[in-house]
Amino acid sequence: MQLTLSGIAQGALYALVALSLTVIYRSTTIVNFGHGDFVMGGAFLVYVLVVIAGLAFLPAALLAVIGAFGLGLIFARHLIRPIQHGPHIGLALMCVSTGFMLRGMARVVWGREVFPMPRAFDIEPIFIGNLIITGDALFTIAIVLVLLIVFFAVFSLSGLGKMAQAVYQSVRGARLIGLDVDRFKNYSWGVGAALAALGGILIAPVSLLHPDLGLGFLIKGFAAMTLGGFGSLGGAVLGGLILGLAEQYVGAYIDTALIDITAYLVILVVLLVRPHGLFGRRAVVKV
Amino acid sequence: MAPGARSSLWAWFCRGLILALLGLPLITNPYVQFVVNSMLIYTVATLGFNIVLGNLGQLAFANIAFFGIGAYASAILAQTFGVPWLFTVPLAAILGAAAGFLASAVALRGIRLYYLAIITLAFGEFMRWLYLHLPAVTGGTDGMPMPRETLFGLQLAQDDVKFYCFLVITIVLFKLTLNLMQSRVGRAIAAVRENEIVTASLGIPTARIIVLSFMWSGLLTGSAGAMFAQHTGHVFPEAFGMHQLIIGFAMVLVGGLGSIIGAALGAVTLTALPEYLRAFPGMEELFFGLTVVVVLLLLPGGLASLSPLFIERHHRPLE
Repeated sequence: MQLTLSGIAQGALYALVALSLTVIYRSTTIVNFGHGDFVMGGAFLVYVLVVIAGLAFLPAALLAVIGAFGLGLIFARHLIRPIQHGPHIGLALMCVSTGFMLRGMARVVWGREVFPMPRAFDIEPIFIGNLIITGDALFTIAIVLVLLIVFFAVFSLSGLGKMAQAVYQSVRGARLIGLDVDRFKNYSWGVGAALAALGGILIAPVSLLHPDLGLGFLIKGFAAMTLGGFGSLGGAVLGGLILGLAEQYVGAYIDTALIDITAYLVILVVLLVRPHGLFGRRAVVKV
Repeated sequence: MAPGARSSLWAWFCRGLILALLGLPLITNPYVQFVVNSMLIYTVATLGFNIVLGNLGQLAFANIAFFGIGAYASAILAQTFGVPWLFTVPLAAILGAAAGFLASAVALRGIRLYYLAIITLAFGEFMRWLYLHLPAVTGGTDGMPMPRETLFGLQLAQDDVKFYCFLVITIVLFKLTLNLMQSRVGRAIAAVRENEIVTASLGIPTARIIVLSFMWSGLLTGSAGAMFAQHTGHVFPEAFGMHQLIIGFAMVLVGGLGSIIGAALGAVTLTALPEYLRAFPGMEELFFGLTVVVVLLLLPGGLASLSPLFIERHHRPLE
C-alpha cells in the first residue's frame, strides 16, 4: 500500500511532465527535446525567488509559472517559428540546444553544487493506520488532479478545445476557416513551458536541485507519453501513473538499481511491440 | 572555374594539407598537440554522426552509444585481454557497426522521426547505465584505464605518437566515406532522405541502404571511440552522456548537415574554440547551445555552404 501510494505520487509528477509535452506536441507536432531543462528552469526560478529574493513559496511559484509562460512564448515566436517549415531535425536540435543553454545558465550561476529546495509546505504527514502520506505527495496529487479536470473541461467543452482539435487534424484546414494558427501555437508553447515549470516546482522539494535534473524527467516524460500513446492527453497521465507505480514495484521486489532504467525499458518495449502506445492512434504515412 | 580545374585544385589542396599535417608535431607543444588529436577524433565521430543525421536524414541519437561502445570495447580488450591498442580499433569499429545494425533494425520496424529519436536516446542512456552497473566488466563509476604500451619501440602514451596513428586512421576513414558518399550508394542514401517511398519505387533497395548507412555510421563512431579511449587514457561513463551528444550536434550543424568536408570543418572549429571556456562551469554548455541556435537561424547550410570549393558533387543541403 505504501508502495502504491508513493508510486502514485511519483507517477503524478511524470504525468505532469508528459502532459506538458503532449500539450506542445498536439498543437505543433513538435516533441520538445529540451523539456527536461524547462522543468529544471522552473525549479531554479523558484529557488532564486524564495532563497535570494526572499519571497514566500506560493507567490514565488506563481511568478515562476508566469515567467515560464512568457519564456515559452518568446521561444516559440523567435526560435521555433523561423524554422518551422524546415526539416524536423532542425526543430529537434533547436529544442535540445535551447535546453542546453538553460542548463548552462543554471550552471554558470550555481557552479557544480547540489542544493536542497526549501520545503513547500509544512504539513504534518498524515498517518492512516500504518500508511504515511507526506504533505508534498498530497499536494502534488491534488495539483495534477485539478489540472487534469481543467484540461479535460477546456478540451472537451470550450471552443478552445475545438480549435486545438482543428489544428491537430490539419493546420491548413484550420487556417482556411480563419483560425490564427501561429498564435495558437505560440500559446501552446507558453502553456507547455508553464506546465513544465510547475512540474519542476513540485519535483524540486522531493529531489535535490541541480542543473542536470532535467534529463531524467525528460526521459520519464517520454516513457509516460509513449506508454499512453503520442498526442493523447489522458494517455499521458495514465502512462505517467503506470510508470511511477512500475518503478516503485520494480525497486521493491526486484532490485533498486533497476528503478533508473524502468523508463528506458518501457520506451524500448512499447515502441518495439506497440508503437502507438495504449491510447494513441496508428500513424498513417502520407506520400 | 572549370569543373576539372576545380577538382585538381582540390586534390592539390588535400595533398598539401596532409604534408603539412605530417610536419605538425615538430612545431606544437604538448597541449596544442593534445587539442589537435581531439580534432582528429571529433572529425571521425562527426562524420559518423553526420551520415545518419545529415546524409540519411534520420533523427537518431544513437551515435553517442556507438561512441561509448567503441571506447569501452577498446579499453576492455586492451586492459582485460591484453590486445594491443592498434588491433582494438578495427574490433571497436566492428562492434560499432553491429550496434548500428541494431539501431537500423529499429528504424526499419517503422519507428521513425520522434519515435526513433526517443528510442535511440533511451538506448544511449541505457548503455550509460550498463557502464555504471557492470563494475566487473566496465569498472563502474571508476571507469577503465588504458594500459601503457609501446608501438615499434615508441611510447604510445606520447601525444605525437598518438597523432600519427590517429592521422592515418582519420585519413583512411575520411577518404572511404568521401568515396562511399560520391558513389551510387551515396546517391541512394541522399534519395532515401529526400523521399523514401519514391526511391523504393525506382527499384532502389531502401531497407538495405538504411541498414548500410547506420552500420557505416556505427563503424566510424566506434573507431572514433577507440581513438578517444587511447587519447584520454581512461574511459569514464560520464564521457558518453548528453554533453557529448550536443557537442556532436553542434559539430554536424556548424560544418553543414550532410557534408563530408563540413564534418571536418565543424569538428576542427568547435574543438579549438571552447578550449578557452573549460575553466568556467556552464560556459561550455552555453557556448554549444548558442552556436547551434545561431547556425540554425542564420546559416542553415553550415560552414560548408560558405565556399563553393567545399560543395561536393551530388550534395545538396537539406531543405
